Amino acid sequence: MHHRIADEIVEVLEAVWTIEEEGTASEEGVASRAMTDVTPELLAECERAGFIIRPGGGTVNLTPMGRQTAEEVIRRHRLAERLVVDVLGMTIEESEADACEFEHLLAPNVTEAICTLLGHPRFCPHQHPIPEGACCRRAGDQISAVVTSIDRLDIGEQAKVAYVSARNHRRIQMLSSLGIMPGIPVRIYQRYPSFVIQCEETQIALEEEIARDIYVWRE
Amino acid sequence: MATKVSQTVSEARQVSEGPRRILLVGNPNVGKSVIFGHLTGKYVAVSNYPGTTVEVSRGTMRLGGRAFEVIDTPGVNSLVPQSEDERVTRDMLISCQPDLLIQVADAKNLRRTLLITSQLVEFGIPMVLVLNLMDEARHRNIEIDVAGLSGMLGIPVIPTVATEGEGLQQLNRAIGQAIGKAQPPIDPLAESRNRLLDSDPAAAQVAGLLGSGGSALPVQLTLEWLQTRDSGLRGTIIERLGLDEAGREALETTHRLTLRGLSARLDELRTGLLDETTGRFKKVLPGLAAEARDNQSLTVAYLLLAVGAVIFLYTETASLLNQFIGPYLGWALPTPYAIVNGWFDRTLIPGAQGWLVGHGLGAVGTILFGALNPESGAWESGFLYPALTQLTLIIAPVIIPLAFVLYRSRRFAEKLGRWSREWQTGAPFLIVVLLLMYEFVGVVGAGTLVDAFETTLFNQYLTPWLQRLIPAGFVYDFLVGDYGLVSVGLTYALAIVLPIVFTFFIAFGLLEDSGYLPRLAILSDRLFRVMGLNGKAVLPMVLGLGCDTMATMTTRILATKKERIIATLLLVLGVPCSAQLGVILGITSSISAGAVMTVFGVVVSQMFLVGYLSSKIIPGRRGDFIFEIPPIRVPIFRNVWTKTRLRIKWYLKEALPLFVLGTLILFILDRFRIPTPWGSLSGLAALERALAPVVTGILQLPAETARVLILGFLRRDYGAAGLFDLVRTGQMDVVQIVTSLIVLTLFIPCVANFFMMIREHGTRKALLMLAFITPFAIGVGGVVAWLLRALRITF
Repeated sequence: MHHRIADEIVEVLEAVWTIEEEGTASEEGVASRAMTDVTPELLAECERAGFIIRPGGGTVNLTPMGRQTAEEVIRRHRLAERLVVDVLGMTIEESEADACEFEHLLAPNVTEAICTLLGHPRFCPHQHPIPEGACCRRAGDQISAVVTSIDRLDIGEQAKVAYVSARNHRRIQMLSSLGIMPGIPVRIYQRYPSFVIQCEETQIALEEEIARDIYVWRE
Repeated sequence: MATKVSQTVSEARQVSEGPRRILLVGNPNVGKSVIFGHLTGKYVAVSNYPGTTVEVSRGTMRLGGRAFEVIDTPGVNSLVPQSEDERVTRDMLISCQPDLLIQVADAKNLRRTLLITSQLVEFGIPMVLVLNLMDEARHRNIEIDVAGLSGMLGIPVIPTVATEGEGLQQLNRAIGQAIGKAQPPIDPLAESRNRLLDSDPAAAQVAGLLGSGGSALPVQLTLEWLQTRDSGLRGTIIERLGLDEAGREALETTHRLTLRGLSARLDELRTGLLDETTGRFKKVLPGLAAEARDNQSLTVAYLLLAVGAVIFLYTETASLLNQFIGPYLGWALPTPYAIVNGWFDRTLIPGAQGWLVGHGLGAVGTILFGALNPESGAWESGFLYPALTQLTLIIAPVIIPLAFVLYRSRRFAEKLGRWSREWQTGAPFLIVVLLLMYEFVGVVGAGTLVDAFETTLFNQYLTPWLQRLIPAGFVYDFLVGDYGLVSVGLTYALAIVLPIVFTFFIAFGLLEDSGYLPRLAILSDRLFRVMGLNGKAVLPMVLGLGCDTMATMTTRILATKKERIIATLLLVLGVPCSAQLGVILGITSSISAGAVMTVFGVVVSQMFLVGYLSSKIIPGRRGDFIFEIPPIRVPIFRNVWTKTRLRIKWYLKEALPLFVLGTLILFILDRFRIPTPWGSLSGLAALERALAPVVTGILQLPAETARVLILGFLRRDYGAAGLFDLVRTGQMDVVQIVTSLIVLTLFIPCVANFFMMIREHGTRKALLMLAFITPFAIGVGGVVAWLLRALRITF
C-alpha cells in the first residue's frame, strides 16, 4: 500500500529537490519555489518527520528518506508531463497543472506502466532529467517495453512510430517533414557510425541523439 | 476549340491581373529543379543532395505565345510545419496567387506526395501533378494507377523521368490544357470536412469565422496553421482573415479548444484519406525483379568489374611499392600500365612520330605525344599519349563495368549504397574512391595534362613564338619576361591550374551526381563532430579540395551559424585546393614517405585541434545530422557536364583576373626600385628583406621563400607553384620543403577566398580569422622546423 504523505510536505520536498538539481536549497528558495504556502511550521513538520534537515544558516538538505520520497514525486510529475505532452498532445504550459495533480495521485504500479508505455523516457518536456525507476533499470538490459526509442532497436527490426519526443520543436518538424510521423512503419538498417532507417520508400540517415527522440511500437 | 476560347478569356484576365504565374511545389529532392530547367530552359544547380534549392528561382516559360513566370520553391514535406524553407513556399502560395500549381512528386513515395496534394487542392487553384522518378518506382515494382488518381483529383497526373526527358512532352501539353481550362481540382476531403464543420454549432461558428473575411484561405490548412506554435504565423493568418476584435478574441480564447478538436478530427480525416488512397492507387507487384531478364550480360559485366578491380588494386599496390621500396630492391613490379606504355614508348610512338615528321607534321606529333625523355626512355607531355593510356588502362577497367552493372541492376546499386555507408566496407570503399580520384585528378590532370599544356604548348610553342615576335624592351618584359603576363600569369592560370581544376570538377560532379557524398557524410559524421560540425560538412570540405573559395560559398548548406564559421575557418586553414594539392603532390613525390606523412599529419592534426577548440569557444550549437539518403545511381552525363562547365566558368571569372593582377603586382614590385634601409632595392627584394626575420629566422627557410608567401596571398596555388620552382631548382633541403609545405597549406587564404569570407561572414569575422591564421601558420611552421632540427630528423 502506498503510504500517502500530506500534499504540502510533498510540495516542499519537490521544491528542495528541484533546487538541489542546480545547487543548495535555502529556506527562502524553497518558499518561493514550492507550490504551497511554506510556513515555518510546515518546515518544522518536514524536519520532524525526518524528510529534511536544516544544518543552519537557512540551508535545507534532504535526508536519504526525504530524497527517496522526493525522487518518486519528481518522477511521477515529470512522467505525467511527458504523458500529457507526448501522448495527449497538449502544450508544455498546459501540461503543468495536470502534472501537478497526477504527482499526488499515481500509484507506483501505474507509474511504472506509464513509464513503460512511454519507453522509459529520460527527460521531461522541460528537459529536466526524469529519475530512473526500477522499471527503467530492468528495461536497461531486457527490453520489454511496448514503446521504445529507435536507438534501442536492432538492425533489421521493424517498428511503427508512436511519437516523437517533444524536446526540440525544430527537430520534430524536421522529422515529420521527412515522413517520420505517428503510425508510419520504420525499419532500421544501420546503427553505426550513424543510424540509417527506412521509412516508406525513403532512407534516412540520422545521428544517435535524434534516434533517441523517436519512440516506436515494436512489431 | 474550347481550349482556344477559354484561352482568350484567361488572356483577358491576365491583362487585368498582372503577370501570370506557375508555381512549382513538392518534397525535397524529387527533381523540381530539373522540371524547372525543362520548363524555362534555365539551369539551376541540380544536385543529388537534398535541400539544394534554398532560394526561390524564377524563370519564364512560353506557352502558346504567352509568357508565364515559373517559380521554383524550396522543397516542403507539408504545408503545415514550417522550417525556414517551408515558410517561403507557404507564403508564396498564400500571397502570389498563381494561375497554376505544378506539384512535382516522388512517385515511389505516394503517401507523402498525397499529403501535399491534399493540402494543395484546398486552395482551389488549377493543378498538375507530376509523378517524377518513375524509373525508381518501376525498379521497386511499384505501380501507380495514374488514371484513377487523376480521376479522383480532377487534375492531370503525368508520370515522368525528368532526368531522361521521359514524359516531359506530355507534361507540356498537360500544362497548356490545365491553364486553358482553368478548372479547380476536386478536393476529396471537401464533403466529409463540410459535414464535420456543420456537425455542431461551435464548429459551424468557427467555420464561419474562418470564412468570414472572404480571404479565400483554405479552411483546414488555416485551422492547422492556427494550431502551430509560430505566433508570427498565427498573427498573419488572423490578419488575413480580416477579423474584428470580437472575432479575433473568439478564435484565440473562446474557441480554442474547439479549434484544437476540429483540427485533430480533420487531421484524422486526412490520415484516413491518405491510407485509403495510397492503398487504392499504389500496388507493389510481387513479381520477379526486373534484372532476372538480363542475367547474361550482367554476369559478364560482373566478371569484367571483378577483373578491372583486381587490375586496378594491383596497379595501385604495385606502384606504391615501387615508389617506396623499389629503390632499395633495385627492381620494380610490372603493371599492365607499365608494360603497355613501355611497348608504346619503344615501338608505337616513335614509329608514329617518325611517320609524322616524315610528312612534315612533327609539331602535331609533339602536341599529341610529347617528347622523349632521354633519362626514363618514356614519352612525356603530350595531350593524347600518356593521358589516354592512363585513362584506359587504370581508370576505365573499374569505372566502365561498374557503370554498366549499376545501370542494369537495381539490386547492385542498393548493395553498393549499403557498402559505401557501413564503416567496415565504407572505409576500403572510400580508399578506392580516393585512389580513383587521385589517378584522374592527380595523375591525368595535375601530371599529364599540366605537362602537356605547360611544357609543350606554352613553353615550347606559345612563349617562344611571342618572344620571337616582340622586340626586347618594356613590352617584352611585360608580356614574356621573368614576371610576364603571358609567360607567368597565363601559364599558371591556363596551363597549371585549369587542367587540375577541370579534372577535379569532373570528378566531383561524378561523385555528387552518383549519390556517394551523402554516404560519405554518414561515414564521417563522428569525425566531424569532434570539430563541432556534423557529417553534412563533408560536401564543402571535399569541394574545398577543388577550390576553397567556392567551398566557402557552399558552407551555406550547413544549418547553424556556428557550423558555417567553423567550416570556413577549417577550409581556409587546412584544406588545400586542387591546384595547390597538385603542386604539393608534385613536390612530395620527390621526398620520402616519412616527410609526406609529416606534412599531412601536421596539417590534419592542426585542423582537428583548431576545430575542436573553436567548437568550444564559438558560441552557438551544432545542427542536427539528419537527411534523406538519395539512391546510388549512374551519374547523368549532362548534369555532370553542365555543372563542371558552370564551375569552370565561375573559376575563370574569379581566378583569371587575380592571376593577371598578381602577375602585374609582381612585375611592378620586381621592376621598380625603391629606397630602403638596405639600400635601393626592387620592391620584391625589399619585401623579401622585410620578411627575412620571419622566413629565415623562425622558419629557417631560404630568403626566396618570402616571395612564395607573398604569391600565396594572391592565390594559394600560385604560391605553391612558386614553391615547386624552388624545389625543382634544388634550393631547399627536405626539412625546409616540409616546413614550407606546412606553412603554405595552413597559410592565409588567397585574395578571392578572403573576399568570399567577407561576403559570407562579414568583414569583422573575416579579419579575425585572418588575424588568427597568419601567426598560427607561421607558429606551427616554426615549431615543426625547430623540432625537426632539434631531433636531427632529416628523413
